[in-house]
Amino acid sequence: MGLRSYIATRVLLTIPMIMLLLTFVFLIIRVLPGDPVLLHFEKAASPETMALMRQRLGLDKPLLDQYFAYLAGLLHGDLGKSMQDFSPIAQQIFSAFPATLELAIYSMIIAVGLGVFLGVRSSKSYNSVQDHSIRVFGIVMYAIPIFFLGMIFQLIFGVVLHWFPTGGRIYPGMEPSGLTIGGVHISTGLYTIDSLLEGNIIKFLQALRYLFLPSLTLGLVLCGVFIRLTRTNMLETLHLDFVTAAKARGLKERTVLYGYAFRNAFLPVLTMMGLQFAALLGGAILTETTFSWPGLGRYLVDRINFRDYTAIQGDVVFFGLLVALISLVVDILYAYFDPRIRL
Amino acid sequence: MSTAKGISRTTIVAILAVIIVVAGLGWYFTLPPPAPKLKDMIIWGTTDSVEKTLDPAQAYDFFGWCIIQQIGGTLVEVRPGSGAGPNDYVPDLATDWSVSADKLTWTFNLRQGVKFEDGTEFNATHVKYSFDRSMGLAIEEGPQVGIDYYSIIDSVEVKGTYQVAFQLKIPFGPFLGVMACQASGIVNPKYAPMDAEVDYVDGDARASHPNDLGRYTLTKWQRVAGKDVEFDLEANPNYWNASGGWPKTKNIIIKMYSDATALRLALEAGDVDVAFRHLTPSDIVSLSGKTDVKVWEGVGAQIQYILFQEKIAPFNDPRARRALAAAVNRTAVCQTVFLGQKQPLYSIIPMGMAGHTEAFKALGDANYTLTRSLLAELGYNESHKLEVDLWYETSGHYPSCADQALVYKASFEASGVITVTLKSADWASYRANRNAEIMPVYIYGWYPDYNDPDDYVFLYWTPWTHQNYNNPAMVALYDQARSTADATQKSTLYSQIETMAVQDCPLVPLWQGKAFAASKPNVGGIVLDVTENFRLWLLYETE
Repeated sequence: MGLRSYIATRVLLTIPMIMLLLTFVFLIIRVLPGDPVLLHFEKAASPETMALMRQRLGLDKPLLDQYFAYLAGLLHGDLGKSMQDFSPIAQQIFSAFPATLELAIYSMIIAVGLGVFLGVRSSKSYNSVQDHSIRVFGIVMYAIPIFFLGMIFQLIFGVVLHWFPTGGRIYPGMEPSGLTIGGVHISTGLYTIDSLLEGNIIKFLQALRYLFLPSLTLGLVLCGVFIRLTRTNMLETLHLDFVTAAKARGLKERTVLYGYAFRNAFLPVLTMMGLQFAALLGGAILTETTFSWPGLGRYLVDRINFRDYTAIQGDVVFFGLLVALISLVVDILYAYFDPRIRL
Repeated sequence: MSTAKGISRTTIVAILAVIIVVAGLGWYFTLPPPAPKLKDMIIWGTTDSVEKTLDPAQAYDFFGWCIIQQIGGTLVEVRPGSGAGPNDYVPDLATDWSVSADKLTWTFNLRQGVKFEDGTEFNATHVKYSFDRSMGLAIEEGPQVGIDYYSIIDSVEVKGTYQVAFQLKIPFGPFLGVMACQASGIVNPKYAPMDAEVDYVDGDARASHPNDLGRYTLTKWQRVAGKDVEFDLEANPNYWNASGGWPKTKNIIIKMYSDATALRLALEAGDVDVAFRHLTPSDIVSLSGKTDVKVWEGVGAQIQYILFQEKIAPFNDPRARRALAAAVNRTAVCQTVFLGQKQPLYSIIPMGMAGHTEAFKALGDANYTLTRSLLAELGYNESHKLEVDLWYETSGHYPSCADQALVYKASFEASGVITVTLKSADWASYRANRNAEIMPVYIYGWYPDYNDPDDYVFLYWTPWTHQNYNNPAMVALYDQARSTADATQKSTLYSQIETMAVQDCPLVPLWQGKAFAASKPNVGGIVLDVTENFRLWLLYETE
């Protein structure tokens, strides 16, 4: 199957996946106790007022009508309006997504960079003190509660040393504005990118400063997974005949390790990268809460507390599409890294 | 070329270059933030947020009112640091006022020369517009309905360019209290359509609210995923008393934090200058011992109480309700859960307010003798215990609710004749359960809309808590009290209501909160009084 056909097939398969997910969530949230209409009225409201609110929220219609109305909106790219404050769900999600994306990117850079590097070092020095130290480090990082690690960093680097801020995304008044060319405004919402677009290195460094502790926290916890996965796969690969043959041909150790062995051991790591990145894009709730990072992490939890049906549905649809996209990218990269794999 | 130890010069140079770059970056990263482009600025960190809107016709939450108070104006205000008594109202947009002999007409003379943002001069028509609008919109979940303006105010009349009169339906004693609350805020008609609410507009702070006459202007309101992230306030050059040096600090930044721990760390790291709402009791205790943090304490107006569902036996019998009231150990919950930062409350009217009594002391605290004797009359004893489902909410709507419930359970069960099952629900389900009237005993709380016993006493029977208590005699006394301006007579009437309440026990007052804030040691001007208003215009920071 060619690449285009493969992508088309995957896109088409995404549709029933999203439908299934949406249907499941649509029904489940309506089974939860609690009434979104009631949450608008702390005190008693007349039955007429409650009925009007129910109508405004679209909850007066039969369940099937509500379902198809929502689907119809989705087809037009409309994720609906919040049942709490009636603002567009798309606006709510996309206001928070850049912060989550930025944190995910930098956390993955640390997690994968450190995890793969240490995993390879560990496999290279099998059963040595270095190997055992790295393994212990990986286990500790994986086991440590993320909010605990975050608080330790906040205490040391924020409270004691005053090196980094303990929370938030940027110093007040320093939000980068992006780039405007000929009336066209380009802004990604990622402060590191937007500050570079603006050409403001101070803002760029400040954005990194605020990113450092949360992405270090999340990255260190995730790197434990990558250390173990890389080490295991490298150990398997390093014992294969082609590696022995490469060494016998006099290739440098570095070339054998990274050019031959790692390239073959990398595929499972790539899969894990995709899975972890997709999970992070749903919002790292504990990290975002610890560092008051204004991302999507708490969005779903807050919306469930408000019984905000449209927001919950919208968030699930959005996340489902993200996961589908990322898994497609991972599969394509798979084929790139391993020519034996046919799409 | 290799050195004797086998490391090439190139490698050494590369390593040195990396060290220099890392050190340079590290040096830069450890620099303090650049000097803010705004001078004269205080950063307030909080875990609170605006529930929905900053429109006085709709906003009915603590933080919404807090922001409105900074950027808007009312005819009168409560004097900072006072007890919000009858003599504690001071002029704001009105310079003086008078009330007719029959107490049905309140006339306000307005301050002249006050300007809106666009230069339009404030006058009586704006007052009438604001009240006609907010009462005309009649938003069911809004404050005008919640506070029942409709049973108080008949009409608002323009008597002159700078004179306005309120015709009341009843001679309402606490009228100034209502005029001082943010539901009575004066709006700018340019930003407040008569027939529509004003909601948050992403990226446009000015379009997101209709307020205009306060000490500050709102220059930024950032919301992400439906939650507030930051507010920026700048001194309002048009404020009528700007020449008097108000506000004291020209720029206020309000930053939202996820929880109390994040807020506390931000204060200790110096990321914020002030932390208010909400630090935990243990945070307060811990911060009190630090030399680089100043803790502020004030009278609070929040109260907590237990309600009984009188449709569920045996709580349809006042003896059962009195039995549980007698078993409550208020001291235990105030000390154990709140580390002394709440005060036992024996009246629905908080301490510090006229009309407060210690009526419920008649039932005692942990008075198990009374509990046992009352329940014995109903057939309950050590071999046949009263089984109670005690409900509490889990969304953090009330402070430390789960911990409180544990203490109440222990105190009820210490009587030896009660068995308690704790049940919980998140706030949405809790309110649904409340309305469905399925919770036999449940914890509830209250913040006042205005600081007068009138806004507390009605809690004994209000229909929206669904406890199904009805006492026409109590209501009649209440109506009498709200119609009289005579302080002594009011106190007598409230005292009679409290006596009835102790007999019938529709609810059990538990505790009254204190207000706490924490700041850097060089911050001053924090005033925490019974209104729980946080007056940002009083804050200042010394060098």
